[in-house]
Amino acid sequence: MNYFFNKNGPLISTYLIISIGFWLIFLIIIPQLYMFDLSFRPNIPTLLRGGPDDVYTLVHYKHFLFGSETSGERYNYVDVRVFLDTILTAILITLINLCFCYPIAFYIAKVASAKTARLLIVSLIIPFWINELLRSFALRILFAGEGFINNVLIKMGVIDTGINFIAMDVALYTGLNYAYILLMIFPLYNAIETLDKNQLEAAEDLGSSMIRTHLRIVIPHAKAGIASGCTMVFMLTAGALATPVVLSSPNTFWFTQLIYQWFNMNDNWPRGAAYSVVLLTVSVVFVLLMMKIFKVKIGEIVR
Amino acid sequence: MKSQQALNILLGIYIFIFFTYLFGPLVIMSITAFNSAEFPSVTPWECFSFRWFNEGKIAYDGQHLAGLATDWRLHEGLITSLKIGLGVVLLSVPIGLSAALVLTQVHSRFRTAFYSVSIMPVLFPGVIIGISTVVLWDRIASMGGGGLATQLGRNGIFLTILAQTCFISTYCFLIFVARLQRFDQTQEEAALDLGASQTQVFFKILIPYMMPAIASSCVIAFLASFENYNTTVFSILSDQTLTTVIASKVRLGISPAISSLALVIILITLTVTIVYEVLRRREDEKNRAIGSDALYAQTLDSRLKKIDKSEFSIPKPIFGVLLVIIVCIFSFNKLVENEIYGSACIAAKEKEKKSNFAEQLKLLQKNADKASQTSVQNGETGQKKEFGDIFGDPDLFKNFGGFDTKKKEDP
Amino acid sequence: MSADVELQKVSVSFGNFYAAKNVSVKIEKGEFFSFLGPSGCGKTTLLRAISGFAEPSDGKILIGGQDMAGIGPNKRPTSLIFQNLALFPLMSVADNIAFSLEVRGTGKVQRRNRADELLELVALSGQGNKKVHELSGGQKQRVAIARALAIEPAVLLLDEPLSALDLKLRQKMRTELREIQKRVGITFIYITHDQGEALTMSDRIAVMNEGELEQVGSGHNVYEAPHTPFVASFVGENNAFYGTVISTNGDMVRVSSQGKDFLAKAGDLKDGKKHTFQKRDKVIMFVRPESIFLKDQINQADNIFSAIFKTIEFEGNLKNIYLSIDGVQDVRCSISNAVETATLSTSESIELKFSSRDAVVLPVGPLAVD
Repeated sequence: MNYFFNKNGPLISTYLIISIGFWLIFLIIIPQLYMFDLSFRPNIPTLLRGGPDDVYTLVHYKHFLFGSETSGERYNYVDVRVFLDTILTAILITLINLCFCYPIAFYIAKVASAKTARLLIVSLIIPFWINELLRSFALRILFAGEGFINNVLIKMGVIDTGINFIAMDVALYTGLNYAYILLMIFPLYNAIETLDKNQLEAAEDLGSSMIRTHLRIVIPHAKAGIASGCTMVFMLTAGALATPVVLSSPNTFWFTQLIYQWFNMNDNWPRGAAYSVVLLTVSVVFVLLMMKIFKVKIGEIVR
Repeated sequence: MKSQQALNILLGIYIFIFFTYLFGPLVIMSITAFNSAEFPSVTPWECFSFRWFNEGKIAYDGQHLAGLATDWRLHEGLITSLKIGLGVVLLSVPIGLSAALVLTQVHSRFRTAFYSVSIMPVLFPGVIIGISTVVLWDRIASMGGGGLATQLGRNGIFLTILAQTCFISTYCFLIFVARLQRFDQTQEEAALDLGASQTQVFFKILIPYMMPAIASSCVIAFLASFENYNTTVFSILSDQTLTTVIASKVRLGISPAISSLALVIILITLTVTIVYEVLRRREDEKNRAIGSDALYAQTLDSRLKKIDKSEFSIPKPIFGVLLVIIVCIFSFNKLVENEIYGSACIAAKEKEKKSNFAEQLKLLQKNADKASQTSVQNGETGQKKEFGDIFGDPDLFKNFGGFDTKKKEDP
Repeated sequence: MSADVELQKVSVSFGNFYAAKNVSVKIEKGEFFSFLGPSGCGKTTLLRAISGFAEPSDGKILIGGQDMAGIGPNKRPTSLIFQNLALFPLMSVADNIAFSLEVRGTGKVQRRNRADELLELVALSGQGNKKVHELSGGQKQRVAIARALAIEPAVLLLDEPLSALDLKLRQKMRTELREIQKRVGITFIYITHDQGEALTMSDRIAVMNEGELEQVGSGHNVYEAPHTPFVASFVGENNAFYGTVISTNGDMVRVSSQGKDFLAKAGDLKDGKKHTFQKRDKVIMFVRPESIFLKDQINQADNIFSAIFKTIEFEGNLKNIYLSIDGVQDVRCSISNAVETATLSTSESIELKFSSRDAVVLPVGPLAVD
């Protein structure tokens, strides 16, 4: 501590300590802990907080699993299904994104000339500077009942009446896929970029087929990038709200929308907090899983 | 190497499809901004018009579809977003910088733990950060007893700044860590050795070195704040930012005004990117020139000798710009020739639609009359009145007519 | 103002590891003093302790008689020239040089004048507006020196500043450094692992090994009269003959090595006295390659022995002859290029000789690793 003050001088030390303390304690740790605490509290008006009714309870987690006590169902099929749908879809979208982006990342990193690579990277960034909502909106224009795709298909005589892409969730899945592509490409690109080109040439020289070269050399080298990209895409997809708001059909829910409902429409904050804790747990488990599977450190995932 | 060629062609096609997927929706959305129809679409094409950038229109069913220039909600949201963005930049850049600096100084035993906590906010779903901030501050506000804490705790802008700072600081932190890794710490020591105080070292050595990273993290922080929705939608409480306005608009029904907003944002993005690229390229070239000059001065190697390019050459991008301008003029000409541009076209289309609508109304009226007759016979009178209220309002059409005729007289 | 630097039993430790151990030495005012040792011997740590970047865990550092404990590097009358120079890349050359004045609040005009003055001193007049990366390696070197001299420090500390330069430039800079030191007249403390640099520039040299001082003395003294086997083998080339003492006669020692008898003088101790040996003591006798001659050369010698010729190596001004005694003891002999050696053939037995005055006997101890 003394060393710290000596090294930075009194003024800078104070600045460092205050800003970091503020961030870590007030913005990161305390809010999460309080939310965690709230998820075990009954839903009572703020004024009664700290009163005799304010006791720890598991009622919200029970509700998530078993539904309200008045319903005859054994489990809370609706919410659990939404939850599982969200997680499975997010995993699926992550995998699709990975397959979709790998060739592009490889092309930019190792095949394209420096100038082309630069151009491609810049053009990749541009669409992602545009608001996620607006990008989803663009897809909505394409997929709407009287939207671009339906009109084109009808004109071409492929179909007679419009397909309801939104009700079929095609629009939602495409939108989620579209929304986070960049976060898959860039970690992949960064990882592949560090691969020595000589290794590829050596593999080719030794008679390795192209697929084998990728499996044995490129992918092992890029594993940190793959882990990083998959984690980011999964997290953002599972926690997405903007895209589902724009693109989900009226009878499909994303888990975040459920949380949103408990908060803003049903005014049951503790229950919303409990659902948030569930989502957070899944996220943490996923990160740990990725670290375990790919044997990477957390620092390699977030870059 | 025939298979190699085939492979390259395949790869080329793949990349083409990929970028079409990436840009196609955006291009189509941009085009819809110029279609005068109420629903953002390319087909059917009504008229080429700038109305969605300007005043918008009042639909024939009475709903006012505001254009970009007249939508006060968007404007207010924009201003709120700018305020929040500014606040977030002011908080998260210093926080990120200090965290990155401390990371280089903490004992290696705690480094991993510190780093993990610092990057945690990026791994949290955005909604959760918003929620946790709101619930905490609601509690603080209720305990504040009407004082400053209560005011702050119920202020959506303040909460949103805090919530966004939580994870945007991590973005800044990562940018700074990357830059600091290349920092030569002996420079700090050299400055100290030359008599600078620690504070002077910070401001005269470290900050100038970090300046590029500070600039880019300001931009990134602002952009991240500006386009955030997931966190903001919870923490903004009763206020509205640009993104929450857009979201509610999109949910209520989609309007071409949003397309035009998107187009404006796309154009700004494009311009900024191009300017940045040009500047960067120029800087690169300058550095390269300096480098080779210095090398030349040292080695006098004739291979490095500079060839003076004194002749004037037209920069290539100008041709591209010229091409775009020519295409624009040409297609605009076509539009005017075919009378699918301008108020006349819009008026015609409106008239057509109105007559369609009127016919439909008449039909409805007829049905309603029939229904009311039967219902009157059955003793139910309420039905007719209701129809009369909605469809029978004579002012409804007058309003439209007035609006349209005024528009006609304008030019 | 120049000042003397005194280290009193200075130790610097990092956890259990002693980077410098019990170092005591007094460096005189205006002296060019070098710490010489292999990398990792603790010389850089010692320099950092003097400049204030490392805190001695034990002992005292006095500069101009004043104890430096608790005084930060920015308050000490020392200037350090870093191994990588640590010039500020974002500032111009003149701003770099005047930085120490800037942080002390000196006015712009004065700063400019001082920078010009120093640029002239290091023969870089008129280059003040250049950026650092526009300079060549040697020019950067001079800017670093000028920057360190700007506030007229009492002691200038140099941490292997020439190691990044190529050979020719390095030799030129040695002379230049020495001249600058004479002109400004302040104490220079120089760190190097290159004995050539240390020998050519320094008034005195301290040879270090594993954090401890092995010997302090003039270049001549260190080369001619090493106190320990480490110094003997680290400074310059040396032939080490392991053997046992047969008899002593005053300062002269008779040593048996490889079944042969040699006469040599006893080595010096730190306090100026000679090592004393008993019969059957295990010792090492050091003979420099340039002190060994072929038998038919005219030089005086009282030790004669024979060895098998292995190979010869041409080095320009001299030739290195490699031989071996019984295939166990390697011997290297450097002779002038003028001596005729064409008649030597491999595996031939050759008679060699050296004078007992050129051979030093020391107790057995660790040698420098190449």
